[in-house]
Amino acid sequence: MWLLLMLIILLSNGMSAFGLKVLSVWGLPPNIKFPYLTIWYAAGLSCIAIPMLLRKVRGGLKEAGWGALIALLSIGGQLAMANALDSGVPGNVVFPVTIGGSILVVAIAGQLFFGEKMSAFSWTGVAIGLLSVVLLSVS
Amino acid sequence: MKAGVLVCVLGALSFGLLACVAKVAERKKCNSSALVVWLFGWATLAMLGRSLTMSHPAHVTTPVTAIAILFGICAAVGYLAFQVSIAVGKVTVGWLMMNLSSGMPALVSIWLYGEKLTLLKSIAFGLAVLSLICLFQGNRVEARQSLSAEPK
Repeated sequence: MWLLLMLIILLSNGMSAFGLKVLSVWGLPPNIKFPYLTIWYAAGLSCIAIPMLLRKVRGGLKEAGWGALIALLSIGGQLAMANALDSGVPGNVVFPVTIGGSILVVAIAGQLFFGEKMSAFSWTGVAIGLLSVVLLSVS
Repeated sequence: MKAGVLVCVLGALSFGLLACVAKVAERKKCNSSALVVWLFGWATLAMLGRSLTMSHPAHVTTPVTAIAILFGICAAVGYLAFQVSIAVGKVTVGWLMMNLSSGMPALVSIWLYGEKLTLLKSIAFGLAVLSLICLFQGNRVEARQSLSAEPK
């Protein structure tokens, strides 16, 4: 189950950003980004909501609140990256600090607040993965 | 420049807190599918508001719509998998996997658009594979440890 979920994350989440690359290759104007993302989010919403409705699964106020907080934090992160780039910080500093930093924040929180105990193999994997993400964002 | 770097750190905190909030929501027994629906619902509203207030609205063609639908579905499935994974595994590993997945578009671009495979990218991909092997091995070790720790 865990292995399958990790593979789905790698493939699905990874490919989700590829559309923006396609748009840039097609040479479309930058203002296409917002209508594109509107359809992008609406499609994602529908593909989860329709099966939920068919199975009569209800999503209440609790999920609405936590979902709003996650959305706000995502927008906050994106705005911070955009502002840092606008203020003249080069991309090879902005992306590794933001993405690598977030992994460190989660690793520390996982230990301190969620009581996650990891084996030496997992810690090595996280450290090497962090380095890989930093190199990917620089390259 | 210093202020810019500080903003980067705030960005890291924001993204890191996102994953932590997702874990807290899981601990509060939120339904994963419903959480993703609300998350994408709020984001759709925000993007729709931004699109409608643009001074020069862009014309969305059918191919752009098709691409948006295809990759939007990928995003929702990917985030749902992350939300489910933190219930059965560790949020640190799930979040790392979400970020490691950024290598996928780079790999596909090399294959599809003939982008140059630089030395730095090759090292990054190699390290990603090594990291995945370590994480999968780590998961097996932890599963064995939790099995042996269970009372007989």
